[in-house]
Amino acid sequence: MEKIVEVQNVEKIYGKAGEKQFKALSDVNFEVKPGEFVGIMGASGSGKTTLLNILSTLDTPTSGQVEIAGQDITKLNNNQMADFRANKIGFIFQDFNLLENLTAYENIALPLALQNKPVKSIKPSVMSIAEKLGLTDILNHYPTELSGGQKQRVAAARALVHQPSIVFGDEPTGALDSKSARALLDTLTKINREDNVSILLVTHDPFSASFCDRILFIKDGEIGQELKKEDATRAEYYQEILDSLGTFAE
Amino acid sequence: MLNKLALSGIKHRMRDYTVLFSGLMIASAIFYMFMSLATNQAFLSSNSPAAATSFIFGFGIVLLAIITIVYVNYANTFLLSMRQKEYGMFMMLGAKSSKISRMIFIETFAIGAISTIIGTLIGIVATGFVSRWLIGMLDMQVKHFSSFYLPALIWTFVFFIVIFMFSAIRNSVSLRRTKVLTLLNRDSQPVKIKRNGVLKAVQAVLGLILLAIGYFTMWFSGNNPGAIYLGIPVALVTIVGGTYLTINSFVTAVILMLKRRVNYSQKGLNNFTLSQLSFRINDYTKILSMVSIMFALALGAITVGLGFNNQIDNVVNGQNYYDVQVTNPDAAQQKRLKDLNIDKKVVYNYKTDGKKVYYRTSEFKKQPIGYSQINVKTMQSKLGTTSDIKKNSNAQYELMNTRLPETRGMQTEFVSDQDYNAINSKETSTVLIKTNSFKDNLSEIKAISKAEIKSYPALKNAGGDKYSAYTLINGFFSGLEFMGFFLGIAFLAMLASCLMFKILSGANGDVKRYNMLYKIGTKQKMLRATINKEIAVLFAVPAILGIIHVLIGLQLFVKLLYKPYMNIEIPFAIFIVLYLGYYFLTRYLYKKIVLK
Ligand SMILES: Nc1ncnc2c1ncn2[C@@H]1O[C@H](COP(=O)(O)OP(=O)(O)OP(=O)(O)O)[C@@H](O)[C@H]1O
Ligand SMILES: [Mg+2]
Repeated sequence: MEKIVEVQNVEKIYGKAGEKQFKALSDVNFEVKPGEFVGIMGASGSGKTTLLNILSTLDTPTSGQVEIAGQDITKLNNNQMADFRANKIGFIFQDFNLLENLTAYENIALPLALQNKPVKSIKPSVMSIAEKLGLTDILNHYPTELSGGQKQRVAAARALVHQPSIVFGDEPTGALDSKSARALLDTLTKINREDNVSILLVTHDPFSASFCDRILFIKDGEIGQELKKEDATRAEYYQEILDSLGTFAE
Repeated sequence: MLNKLALSGIKHRMRDYTVLFSGLMIASAIFYMFMSLATNQAFLSSNSPAAATSFIFGFGIVLLAIITIVYVNYANTFLLSMRQKEYGMFMMLGAKSSKISRMIFIETFAIGAISTIIGTLIGIVATGFVSRWLIGMLDMQVKHFSSFYLPALIWTFVFFIVIFMFSAIRNSVSLRRTKVLTLLNRDSQPVKIKRNGVLKAVQAVLGLILLAIGYFTMWFSGNNPGAIYLGIPVALVTIVGGTYLTINSFVTAVILMLKRRVNYSQKGLNNFTLSQLSFRINDYTKILSMVSIMFALALGAITVGLGFNNQIDNVVNGQNYYDVQVTNPDAAQQKRLKDLNIDKKVVYNYKTDGKKVYYRTSEFKKQPIGYSQINVKTMQSKLGTTSDIKKNSNAQYELMNTRLPETRGMQTEFVSDQDYNAINSKETSTVLIKTNSFKDNLSEIKAISKAEIKSYPALKNAGGDKYSAYTLINGFFSGLEFMGFFLGIAFLAMLASCLMFKILSGANGDVKRYNMLYKIGTKQKMLRATINKEIAVLFAVPAILGIIHVLIGLQLFVKLLYKPYMNIEIPFAIFIVLYLGYYFLTRYLYKKIVLK
């Protein structure tokens, strides 16, 4: 089966040669299959954000290969990277990152406008994703008029509206209360199942992680352990994660 | 410890501080430049015949002071927008607010003092440079002017120390009053978006009506000089009000209309740009109105200043028909004459017996003489030629002034060749030349006139030729022209820097937005383009309104100046080049702050 993400021998060293250097990632290897919901967990400073930045072309690895949707993203130039992000990737950030001078509708439509999609096709796309995420009633609101949970769902809609190959989230539930967090994760799971969208989620939080199919544990820049959900229920999986975190931390 | 932290904070934001410092230095430099003229009474009274000059400069000082205060205020906001998060963090970590407010006080005041001192030094150099440039470029004669003028220096220092004192107090009070949380989250403060269509529509209509009244008043009082004392205040009030309302409503309306046109707005970052603008315009109305009014005043000052220059031409060309007159030219003088771009050349000879001067009638038949004639009613001059000089008193007057001074008082006779030949005295020959343009040949004409005075020292006081009329009139108008230019450039520099700062002070808040756009896949090129567009609109709105104000405002001068609209493209071009310079500088600095 083809892979959406394939990471091979990726290494990231911060700091120039001759200066003080720091190895944030060493020999990272893993892959994500279409429709998979993968979580990445690890202590603070373990290299999660670094990894995600490399996967999303915001940063380049010092060595190694990253293929996304069949394309080697480490060989792209700046413009190609921008196009790649605009077409193939969806982002959900911890702090929503909505543009506060655009309405919810306009925020969601932004990636389509960026790709210069035919104007006629924009509205149906926005409406359909908004309906899926239960945002239809608040489309004309400005971000400041929305709750945190609503904002994050708008951000999710923006990440999904252009049907990316994969959605990346860096702690998307980090700023939400547990109820909103759960609503968001339910929605992401639903979209993951129904539309077969691949999702890669970085999180600290075992509860958020329990929604994933598979979790990669990262420690000091290396992937140490992998935990699959298989046929476990979410509650069982949650317990497994807690256990792993306990042993993994040692 | 805290001081050290604060200092390291400054180090990290060196670029922002460079912007801040250079902006404040420009402000004090310009203020000094202006004061070096405005406080120099000897200069003012010796260069301008009009009693109104002192008043105009007083008015200028007040305006410039207001702009400077607004300007420092924006620069200060820029400083606060940079620092509040950091100071908020110190407070969260337990620093006492009294300590923090003392720190911001010292920081503000130190920045102010340093930039004022350096700025004033720059001002002294710039004053020397600009005045030399103006004097050279426009062949001006300016008396009692020096680039270093102590009273101006003192005034500049006092003024800036006072406003920075206030800014420092304001900053420290505002930091002490604001809650820590607000400081930390200033960037994400909700933005109120007002949507009141009816009010906006009323404003738009009212704004246009006020502008119409203002424009009409200017036109009316220009054409009916008696009405000017009521007309100027009325025009000022209505135009200021009209500009404000128009920008506030009309521009917003245009943006909204564009937003509704989905085919435009849903392409690329257009919608983002429009939203940035519509949100900005609300916040910018005041400064944009101020800039457009100042723009008009500054451009008006330069245009009128240059109008005086045109006046010189008009008056000078009305004095004499011929641009050059030489008596018995020697070889060197002949050579100089050859350098001229000659349109017409005539040579007349005369003899004198000590009581009368005799010309040959036939010479005038062969070479008709040119003369100028001033209509006393309109003060407009008309040029003509005649071959029948006996009947033309204007031509006779012109001819009289071409002779050497000692024979000018004598009676002139026009005689037949026979009679002329019978007169037994030395013949003097006068060469008269009209060039294709007095102005274009000015430097050659100057040389000829000098050589002529050297050969005939009596000419020095008597004059009579066009060049000496020119020096007289040029001296008279140069002062006015110089002031107009200086005033205009100082104002322009100030208002454009003001606008620049206002825009830059929003830049820190925009970093996050552009970063997000970058992350979701916007190309750098596109980000730059949207910044360029946004700043271009913010610069263009006041400029366009300002230009319209000036074009109509010149109506005030139709009776005062000869053809106020003549050569108008020159001041406009100078102005637009300087203004464009500011636009490019602003967008460069903005991108430096906002983009990686
Ligand atoms: N630009 C950088 N230059 C140098 N070192 C960096 C840089 N960015 C991150 N690091 C270092 O790399 C390591 C991994 O950082 P990273 O941000 O990936 O951690 P993380 O797992 O996302 O942590 P957290 O859960 O706190 O977000 C850290 O030790 C960090 O100090
Ligand atoms: Mg992180």
